[in-house]
Amino acid sequence: MRNAIGQDLNPAQEELMACYDRLASVLGERRDELAPFEERNALKALAALWQVANGLDMDRGQTYHLGA
Amino acid sequence: MTTESPYWNPRHETMARDELEALQVRKLKNLLEWADGQVPFHSKRLSDAGVTAESIKSLDDLARIPFMTRDEWMQGQLEHPPYGPILAAPEEAAIRYHLTSGTTGKTPIRVLDSMKDWEWIAEMWCYGFWGFGVRPADRVFFAFSYGTFVGFWGAHYACEKIGCLVLPGGNMTTEARINQILDMRATVVCSTPTYALRMAQEARAMGVDLTKSPVERLILSGEPAGSIPATKKLIEEQWGAKAGDTAGMTELGTIMMFECEAQPGGAHIIEDHYIEEVIDPIGENPVGYGERGERVVTSFGRGFIPVIRYRTRDFVVKVPGSKCSCGRSFDIYDGGIRGRVDDMKLVRGTNVYPRAVEAIVREYEAIDEFQIHLFTAEGIRDEIEVLVEIPDASVDADSLCRKVGKALAEAHEGLRFGVKQVENESLPRFELKAKRVLDEREVVGGTGERKQA
Repeated sequence: MRNAIGQDLNPAQEELMACYDRLASVLGERRDELAPFEERNALKALAALWQVANGLDMDRGQTYHLGA
Repeated sequence: MTTESPYWNPRHETMARDELEALQVRKLKNLLEWADGQVPFHSKRLSDAGVTAESIKSLDDLARIPFMTRDEWMQGQLEHPPYGPILAAPEEAAIRYHLTSGTTGKTPIRVLDSMKDWEWIAEMWCYGFWGFGVRPADRVFFAFSYGTFVGFWGAHYACEKIGCLVLPGGNMTTEARINQILDMRATVVCSTPTYALRMAQEARAMGVDLTKSPVERLILSGEPAGSIPATKKLIEEQWGAKAGDTAGMTELGTIMMFECEAQPGGAHIIEDHYIEEVIDPIGENPVGYGERGERVVTSFGRGFIPVIRYRTRDFVVKVPGSKCSCGRSFDIYDGGIRGRVDDMKLVRGTNVYPRAVEAIVREYEAIDEFQIHLFTAEGIRDEIEVLVEIPDASVDADSLCRKVGKALAEAHEGLRFGVKQVENESLPRFELKAKRVLDEREVVGGTGERKQA
């Protein structure tokens, strides 16, 4: 996996990006299946992992539409 | 965990300048695309200037974007209360509300943050805390009132993120704070520079020698004094600890610069998250390294309220990051924030900046607190005096006042400063931003140019 400036991510960084993308996907597409504790904690985790994506120069846009 | 790294984000903080600028250009394009699509206020400004995200090819293109001012922001709030026409996301997505501190401007600026923005705000503070050597094992005390002013809020969450033990010191007397710092064996203390001195003063009155406490670091913010050498030296001596300066603003939600452990006499700009330009405040042309000018900031962080080419009114002098031995490529504001464009006082034709006065007064350790007082003498003449508290009765106060007056005059083209001792504890004390200028002039300016104050 490469970031927006063409640099390769290491395997640990790739795992973190996969976590972010899965969280965003669940919150975007399967939110109705989540209990309040699942939804709100997932949003907190997404907000934190967005900082990782941003620091790795992986453009993931904004998160407001997901409530984060 | 890599606690050995001196950098929070090693790759960004040590990036070659050309790579860093390429990163900034990419982030600028993203920011413009976002602001253009979400905020009519910005899209109109960009459209009027003929700027689109695609048209940005290099940092030189920044100059095509109009400046954003605090006056516009405040006016927008009045016309479209409560936030003005600047939100890029629905209010429902916000989890935090804060206000500017009210030291400048008639109307405080109101801001909102989402969960992601709030994490980003803490992230910026992490650059500063980590860069100044704060680690998970630290116990960090916040001498902060935890109100609507954003102040150290982000720093509190940054320390939680780093894994420190956070000791919130809101709603406490100064004495209670000193006791808490000692009882909890705090290793880091966060406060304004003024309040760091106030706590040291209180500790002395309590018979406590802070140099023997476990405090190793102070993180200062909220006032320019954190980078005034004489003030910083005084704080470091009185606490027996290293003091690191940071500076931020509510309009950004967090800090944009921090002093690293190498203490290069200034603060690194967090350039992977901001573009900081320095311009001549009057001609509005860019000034080069080493020249004093006004900061203009563009932030890539808080998406809720895009900030693009915002005129800060802060005076700074930018120098290359290579001036510091820490290895960061981030440029430095030498001497931190050098004052405010609006702080300047004209006294009998001479420019007086409060920071310059403080730099001289703090050279004299016998002076505990001071105030700059401007008044009109005999209905016609501007006068400036510095009121000082000298608590040590063994000090020859008259001689000291004369010395300070002479030093102030020498630094201000011979301008006469009265220096007057006042009763101990009679001058105001401050927990947040100090307001040490009392301008009671009825009229301001020289003959022929006088105007109502």
